[in-house]
Amino acid sequence: MTYRVVHRTEYSYPSTVSSSYGEVVMLPREQAGQQCLSSSLVISPEPTDLRERLDFFGNRTTYFAVLAPHTELTVTATSVVRVRGRAAAVERAAHPADSIGWWPARDRVQAAVGSGPNAEPDALDARQYVLGSPLVELSDELREYAAASFRTGAGLLDAAMSLSSRIHRDFEYLPGVTEVTSTIAEVLDHRAGVCQDFAHVAIGCLRSLGLAARYVSGYLETQPPPGQQKLLGSDASHAWFSVFVPGIGWIDLDPTNDQPVDDRYVTTAWGRDYTDVPPVKGVIFTRGDRQVLRVSVDVLRLDPADDPADAPSEPDERGTPTT
Amino acid sequence: MSPEPATGDVQSGAEPAGSPGVEPGCETGTVVTALGPVAGYRPPPEVYDEMLDAEGRPREPWSHVGRLIDGLGIAELGRRRAEAARLLANDGVIYQLASPDGVQPHRRWELDPVPVLLGSGQWAELERGVIQRAELLNMILGDLYGQRRLLRSGLVPPELVFSHPGFLREADQIAIPGSQLPACGVDVARDASGAWWALTDRTQTPSGFGYALENRVVLSRVFPSMYRDAQAHRLAPFFRGLRSALRAAAPPGVDEPRIVVLTPGPWSETAFEHAFLASYLGLALVEGSDLTVRDGRVWLRSLGAPKPVDVILRRVDGAYCDPLELRSDSLLGVPGLLEAARQGSVSVVNPIGSGVLENPALLALLPLLCERLLGQDLRLASVPTWWCGEPTQRRHVLGRLERLVLKSTTREAGSRTLLGWELSEAERDDMRRRIEAHPYDWVGQASLDLATVPAAGEHGLEPRHMLLRTFLVARGESYAAMPGALARIAPTVRGALIARRPDTGTVYKDVWVAASEPEDLTGFWLRPDRPTEAEPAGALTPTSRAAENLFWLGRYAERAESLVRVLRVVEDRRNDFADGMTMAGTVCLATLQDALARVSGKAPTDPHGPTDLVADVELPGSLAYAVRRLRDAAYPLRDQLSGDTWMVLGALESELLTPAPTARSGQLARVLTSLLALGGITGDSMVHDQGWRFLNAGRRLERALHMVALLRATVATAHDTATDSLVLESVLTAAESIITYRRRYRSHAQLDTVLHLLLLDPDNPRSVAYQLEQLTGDIAAVARRDVAGRLTEPERVVLQTSTALRLADLGELTHVEAGAVPGGGPAAGPGSRRRPRLAAFLDLLASQLRHAGESVDAEHFTHLLPQRPMPTPAGAGPGSHLRLV
Repeated sequence: MTYRVVHRTEYSYPSTVSSSYGEVVMLPREQAGQQCLSSSLVISPEPTDLRERLDFFGNRTTYFAVLAPHTELTVTATSVVRVRGRAAAVERAAHPADSIGWWPARDRVQAAVGSGPNAEPDALDARQYVLGSPLVELSDELREYAAASFRTGAGLLDAAMSLSSRIHRDFEYLPGVTEVTSTIAEVLDHRAGVCQDFAHVAIGCLRSLGLAARYVSGYLETQPPPGQQKLLGSDASHAWFSVFVPGIGWIDLDPTNDQPVDDRYVTTAWGRDYTDVPPVKGVIFTRGDRQVLRVSVDVLRLDPADDPADAPSEPDERGTPTT
Repeated sequence: MSPEPATGDVQSGAEPAGSPGVEPGCETGTVVTALGPVAGYRPPPEVYDEMLDAEGRPREPWSHVGRLIDGLGIAELGRRRAEAARLLANDGVIYQLASPDGVQPHRRWELDPVPVLLGSGQWAELERGVIQRAELLNMILGDLYGQRRLLRSGLVPPELVFSHPGFLREADQIAIPGSQLPACGVDVARDASGAWWALTDRTQTPSGFGYALENRVVLSRVFPSMYRDAQAHRLAPFFRGLRSALRAAAPPGVDEPRIVVLTPGPWSETAFEHAFLASYLGLALVEGSDLTVRDGRVWLRSLGAPKPVDVILRRVDGAYCDPLELRSDSLLGVPGLLEAARQGSVSVVNPIGSGVLENPALLALLPLLCERLLGQDLRLASVPTWWCGEPTQRRHVLGRLERLVLKSTTREAGSRTLLGWELSEAERDDMRRRIEAHPYDWVGQASLDLATVPAAGEHGLEPRHMLLRTFLVARGESYAAMPGALARIAPTVRGALIARRPDTGTVYKDVWVAASEPEDLTGFWLRPDRPTEAEPAGALTPTSRAAENLFWLGRYAERAESLVRVLRVVEDRRNDFADGMTMAGTVCLATLQDALARVSGKAPTDPHGPTDLVADVELPGSLAYAVRRLRDAAYPLRDQLSGDTWMVLGALESELLTPAPTARSGQLARVLTSLLALGGITGDSMVHDQGWRFLNAGRRLERALHMVALLRATVATAHDTATDSLVLESVLTAAESIITYRRRYRSHAQLDTVLHLLLLDPDNPRSVAYQLEQLTGDIAAVARRDVAGRLTEPERVVLQTSTALRLADLGELTHVEAGAVPGGGPAAGPGSRRRPRLAAFLDLLASQLRHAGESVDAEHFTHLLPQRPMPTPAGAGPGSHLRLV
């Protein structure tokens, strides 16, 4: 599947901003099953400084500084991404021959660092995802919630999928009850939230058991209700979680939609939790304390016959921002 | 924020004072005195003492000093201690300032007069130990932010690093030229057997070496001949080494790096040291808002054009350095600083992220790491430490909580060191739960029985426990140690080093390391010499913020001085006329009270009497308020003002800003004396550079404004001759021109001659004309001219004002309106008439002068808008369509 993703963020400020410094994580990273054919990031007004790098987690991160006075700032990321065979990893992990119990899996993550015979190249990276992180504080409550899925002798992948399904069932999708800085405890209290909250709950459950789990941000192709045309700008950025399966690697699951991540998903970045990979963050200098933020996302499937080189890579103005 | 300069976490396991051993002083005080302090010193037996060996004989380096101290006697030692305290206070040495809003006195630095003496052999062993340690820490730091082989190989458990808040992922792969740890400190203590132990490594922003130097400066003044005879190593070379290390850290290709000291600001705990270091090393002292990032570089907002910065000696904790990538709520940092560091255009020293090495869990690993990384045995042992993140060690800690010191691996707020043996059973259970819940965050440490060192007590020398902070700077591939240290001693005889309560006094000592051969004696007990390398041209141009502070320092100093004079006149007149017996006196007093209201900005009907105008620090317009603002403007200028300034400011603060105000009688006179001294220092001891021009401009502008306000309140109304004469005399007194007037006119005060003297006389340093002339020179000296000859806005306004003044016709201005003042009031007698032209003219002058002040502000000072975080978009969009149905 090939997609064109346009992710646009607009800031309006009632009083003049003398300068803005920001970091953007919106350009898809390369990984097994995902290839970024083209990408561009346009910031308006034109930044004085603009530099892309890979961050600690390997995500494509862009630093910018707009140092002339402005009252609006727009960040538009446009990428063409080919996604293929993402479900294969899940299938492989689910194969009885490769299936691993969650208990041995936990011990293998711990033992796999070092120069011994059991060393795994990804294991060191995985070890940091066992620890708590700014928005994912580990707790007995999480461990207890996870216990129903992680019974003695259960397979890791089965248990993780069961956990994902239970979160889907037990938590209500309710925008507005949580904020980007909400902690897991608040989400557990409300039994409601949005995709990033569900991902955080799943991550917290896995880590509370000593397993490695990370936060993944990206996009999901959505379909309009039957009989209706898909609205431009109606998509949104999405988030899910990934669990480390020793011997196989990272397996992505989407608790919001209770399904493994397949070729309808485009991955942008990953980290310990949301705070490692917000799409935009920054510092501004202004007297005003009010700001208006508008975000629009379009995930458009390109006809497979289209040569990606012909696909428009500049942002077009059709995407009307939602409010 | 910054750590207490020497945090002792060591607990003595020794029995409390009062046990066998000897209690110096007390009842045997007279005997002790007869013996002399050293001869009467009785440290506990079986415990290593710095001065006396097991047989009670002074150790080699102490023999001479011991004889001298005995010769002085304990009473003289007490006098020397008082002298040290006076010198420290005069230098304004403080630790932990009051908040800018508060008026509490600061905590003074207390220095014990008895130095710690270390023989060259003893020192050499310790020195080798701390140098090796710094080399090792440097290699570990380079690896943790580089290849992370230590984690990959399993030598360092990844959780130890990944769970520590000092490990900043944003700083990954940022390396500076040369050593990654250009400066560090190691806290060491000697145990009862005489062996040294390392307790803590200070790698974030190691503080204390400035205080160590100040201790040396003071003690060498208190004991000049003793210091000379002791032939102790000088500290100056260490600071030259620090400067060299900073230069060596500069980005490649930069030959003459511009180096700045980044401070959290004048209210940080160790602000004194930041300013002291900056001025000692000849570097600019800056706050985060003085720096800005553009084109991938850091720039200093100085007057005129911004200047590139190559090296930043940071005294701001890593996580606060860049609100863009790190803590978004930090107002102490520079947005984009990490990106500039990543580009390699600026070197931050120590690199952001160096706090990861302060994790005490690393202590247990150092012997192995030293063997693997340096191929050597670790020379200086660390206090035995068990990290709860490792299951075996955790069991060890949980099994003997009551015998261990429990320490958080981070120094975050609220995590304090706990002593296992002081906890109740319930508290220990709670502690076990906390450790089980967050095992990575805790270590247990053995408690050491410490050695003793003599300190001057009331009745003789007393044995105290001691903690030394040693300091190291990178030199080539290795390190140079400061031949000396900052020693902190327990506040009580053999008592714990740990500060139990925040208000517990902390006592420091200077450490003298015997030089094996005599050193160069040039400038020996004067301040150690300053570095001789020249700064890049223009480096000493003040920052825009410093210029602004200087301007306001001038304004508030003058405002306070003018207020004192009016307050004194009012007080005198009240004493003369408060009985209301003469009409002239009553009107005059009322007029002066109006004047006081006008110059202080308080409405004449303000219920606050003149008393409040002296001491109410919260009342804008009061004297105390002006002094507080004066202090607030001065503190950030510590690196620029003469050292004597702090003597004067200290006196002003204790007069007006302490919670228990000093005696009222004579208070105004004492305040005036201090303000005059301040004027003398700033007038006579400061180079008349750009910074001084702003200070002088502020002073002149304020004096002119004050004079105009005083005249407007007093002489814009005409009274009968007797009243006028009283009022005019009071005005001349308040304007410090009465003597001149009497000598010149030898008559009762007449309005036209008074106005001439106070407004127009170019030779009277109190006249408005004189202020405008000075102001003209000051603003011309700091003017930035785009086109030759074009006036800046402040110049234009001042020129207009002085022209208006010169064209003024006094005869015309003093015209009196026919008819009595309607409404009357206490300040208007029965025959009072208005002088509308004079009133209008003075109003015009006042408005022009205020405009001049505003235009200086707009022309020269950078006004940053408030810093705020950008709102962050959520991980999910606004609609619920992302949940597939």
